[in-house]
Amino acid sequence: MQTWTEKIIMFIWCGFSYVFLLSPMIVVMGASLHGGEFSAAIKFPPDEPSFQWYSKIPAEQFEALGLSLIVAAVATFIAALIAIPAALGLVRSNFKLKFAVSSVFRAPLQIPAIVSGIAFLQLYYLIFDTSGLMLAGTIPGMLLGHVFIATPFLFGTIVAVLQRFDHRLEEASYSLGAGRWRTLYRVTLPTIMPGIYSGGLYAFMVSFADVPMSIFLTAPGFVTYPVELFYAMENDFDPSILASSSLVIVFCLAMLLIVQKVVGLETLLRSGGGSAR
Amino acid sequence: MKKHKNPLASLGLAFGLALGVSFSATAGEFDGVTLKVATWGGSWKANMEKIIVPKFEALGGKIEFVTGSPAANFAKLVAGRGRAPFDVMEVLDAQVGDFAQVDYLQPINLDLIPNKVNLQPFQYNTTYVGSWNTQETICYNTEKFAELGLPAPKTYADLAAPELQDKVSLPDINSGAGLANFGGVIYAAGGDEQNIQPGLDLMKKINATKFWTRGGETKTQFESGDIYAAVVHAGWCTRAARAGSPVMTVHPEIKPGVKGLAKEGWLGIMKSSKNAKAAHWFINEYLTTDFQYEYAINSGVFPLNKDAIEKMKGDEINAKLMELRPDAISSMLRLDYSKVDKTAWIDGWNKTLTK
Amino acid sequence: MENRWIAYLIPPFIITLLLVAGSQYVFIQNSFYQDLGLGRTGTDLTLTNYIKFFSDSFYLKTFWITIKVSAIAALLTLFLGFPIAYVVARMKSKLAMFLLAGIVVSTFVTIVIKVFGLIIIFSADGLINKTLLNLGLIERAYSIIGTQEGVVIGLMHFTIGFSVLLLYSVVVTVPPSLEYAAQIHGASRFRVYQRVIIPLCAPGFVVGGLMIFNMCMGAFTSAALLGGGRILTLPVLVQRTVMMEVKYSTAASIAFILLVSVILINLFSLIAIRRLRSARLVVA
Repeated sequence: MQTWTEKIIMFIWCGFSYVFLLSPMIVVMGASLHGGEFSAAIKFPPDEPSFQWYSKIPAEQFEALGLSLIVAAVATFIAALIAIPAALGLVRSNFKLKFAVSSVFRAPLQIPAIVSGIAFLQLYYLIFDTSGLMLAGTIPGMLLGHVFIATPFLFGTIVAVLQRFDHRLEEASYSLGAGRWRTLYRVTLPTIMPGIYSGGLYAFMVSFADVPMSIFLTAPGFVTYPVELFYAMENDFDPSILASSSLVIVFCLAMLLIVQKVVGLETLLRSGGGSAR
Repeated sequence: MKKHKNPLASLGLAFGLALGVSFSATAGEFDGVTLKVATWGGSWKANMEKIIVPKFEALGGKIEFVTGSPAANFAKLVAGRGRAPFDVMEVLDAQVGDFAQVDYLQPINLDLIPNKVNLQPFQYNTTYVGSWNTQETICYNTEKFAELGLPAPKTYADLAAPELQDKVSLPDINSGAGLANFGGVIYAAGGDEQNIQPGLDLMKKINATKFWTRGGETKTQFESGDIYAAVVHAGWCTRAARAGSPVMTVHPEIKPGVKGLAKEGWLGIMKSSKNAKAAHWFINEYLTTDFQYEYAINSGVFPLNKDAIEKMKGDEINAKLMELRPDAISSMLRLDYSKVDKTAWIDGWNKTLTK
Repeated sequence: MENRWIAYLIPPFIITLLLVAGSQYVFIQNSFYQDLGLGRTGTDLTLTNYIKFFSDSFYLKTFWITIKVSAIAALLTLFLGFPIAYVVARMKSKLAMFLLAGIVVSTFVTIVIKVFGLIIIFSADGLINKTLLNLGLIERAYSIIGTQEGVVIGLMHFTIGFSVLLLYSVVVTVPPSLEYAAQIHGASRFRVYQRVIIPLCAPGFVVGGLMIFNMCMGAFTSAALLGGGRILTLPVLVQRTVMMEVKYSTAASIAFILLVSVILINLFSLIAIRRLRSARLVVA
């Protein structure tokens, strides 16, 4: 169907995009094998490959990594609890200000994360002033901020999947005698699972990678991984940062393989790739 | 238990008891106290974890670190209107002026800081106690300068040489050393804290294209050949030297009779802190010779403790690149931050130097 | 039947509304008061912050630069994303999945890590400069930090992953049978692109492009790291105003202007698209 010229053009075009896309990560991984002295010039390709810097990764980075994973997982879960009923409610009901309501759910995407960070901190102190509940510099406070930025992604993908939902499946379920809850649980939810998975994946990644908001919401002794990297750049730009980053890249690849095994990568695609609508 | 009528035994027992009581008295001095210290992360706090934290834990307490730049921590203070999630804070000169306008710090009882005798008198007062010092120098690559036929730079204006185009890095106004070094340039150009235009003109002449936010960037850029000269504190220059770059420092001539630019880092105790005693203890420990020296060697700052400064002479690179004579250090230019209108400085900077 | 669905909607809506409105209200309402520095604000409502923004060439320049780099980055990202999206959409082979895996990994890895890589690649003795110098194309090493091009490249890396996925979701709505049909009727591949694929995908591309544009407008980390203090975009300026100058009212006004301008640009673009589409329908 495609001509040879077209195939070649596409190949080159794709290739170029790909090199652009992947080169920084490859370089980071390569440079992490830096064999030289304490931060002699960081080069790619490295002079004498060695894994020495992997052993010098400060313990805090691992702690921060653990914290980031937990926060991202919990935030995604809570975001799902909010986004699923919200998406169901929005798509299936009929009322005038649907667009406005939808915008509220998508709003966090428009707000620069740094603004959200400061705003949340101020909000927390306001809450403390009025009710004595202290959220600033606590884990729940940070979680709430991450839920805030993650929910729109889940919302967007689930809405996209719901819009393509075949209602006949539900009707069939009802006509076969299943009640509302059963239908919801056995038919609806499984069918929109791809949307939940892909949205959840984006949400997880957005939370995991966030820097500007987390800077303001970190609790004493609890720093998220990207923020820890950001600070490490400040003080010790030595190859252990690259080693740490390479581990993260490998971890992401592993996550990818898990996704492929569990749901298959296609599901990511079929659920609309994001919150465009 | 048999009752011994042996006087030596009872003496021993009494002695042991007294010892035990006094032991547990000091051991429990900070029992259950968690001191929160706001400081930079990474290897910076690693020094404290190595030397100060074990001592505090031996006294029954715990230290937690709130990591972040002083600017970020100050921003958190402002958002919380003075309520801080920490007790002690490292303050940069850039924040001294801000703190003066608000009431976030509690007075320091200098009697609780006996180690201050090892400092110069101007390095402590009832609001702040100095923590470390940096000597803001011009760090340059001697080999490249020789190649280009340039003499060693003496002051900031020498960085305007056309051969150095695109190879000079200056501190961004937003960085920890931004205000101090901009101040140096202003003074060198004939202005002062309240008259910054000469400094802006000199900056335009120098026409640097690289601004660093983290001192470490200059070290990396020296290694890769991205820069041949940088305005950065001597500690980073020594780190670059240790990594193999052929660099040397110059303490810039600011005015006739004033050579070199220095700034102190400060420690302050938050007004909202309930652990004042522990905070004072911490500050005192910060000033011990051991810690100050360790700190200086690992993190590249300059110690305030006189004995630690003496020790610095033992390292060849330190002796070569840093100013180790106390009078020369004290006579370096230091800005009067109460006269600095930060907004005017930043606005001027932004308008003149951003593209 | 519909009403019970609304019941599902209400609790999440209230939570989200509280978070969105609450946090933004607290921050943005500062902008309508005078800035007294150090987070303090005056007591009278005033628009001075906004007037200051629009009458100062520095702020206007920053505003323009932000829009410019975001627009360029969005266009280039769409351009680079399209072939991958098309290939994955049309070729259901292992290769396609492999390509997709690369995209997804790229989205997972945080931008800080990618910027490390970019800095190494573009350093004076890095691959790009060495090659260009050896080929004699440049005389002095080129630096990526502190240039608009550098910021654009950073923004592209930030958004390319999402771009591919968005574009994919659009391309996939064009059934291959349409392409076959056109070719059966004698159209060349070029014609197929011109008359079938592009027109059908255009609206989706525009919406996707706007999304990418929005992400770029609000992007902080990549712009901060690659702008190098010389190139400032609005998010970076907001951060500086908050952290360095601690002027909340000014920062809030800048943030609000950013927010409103993004919404307006989106709105105008969508309206313009609708006008164009109806115009074309009339002509065709």
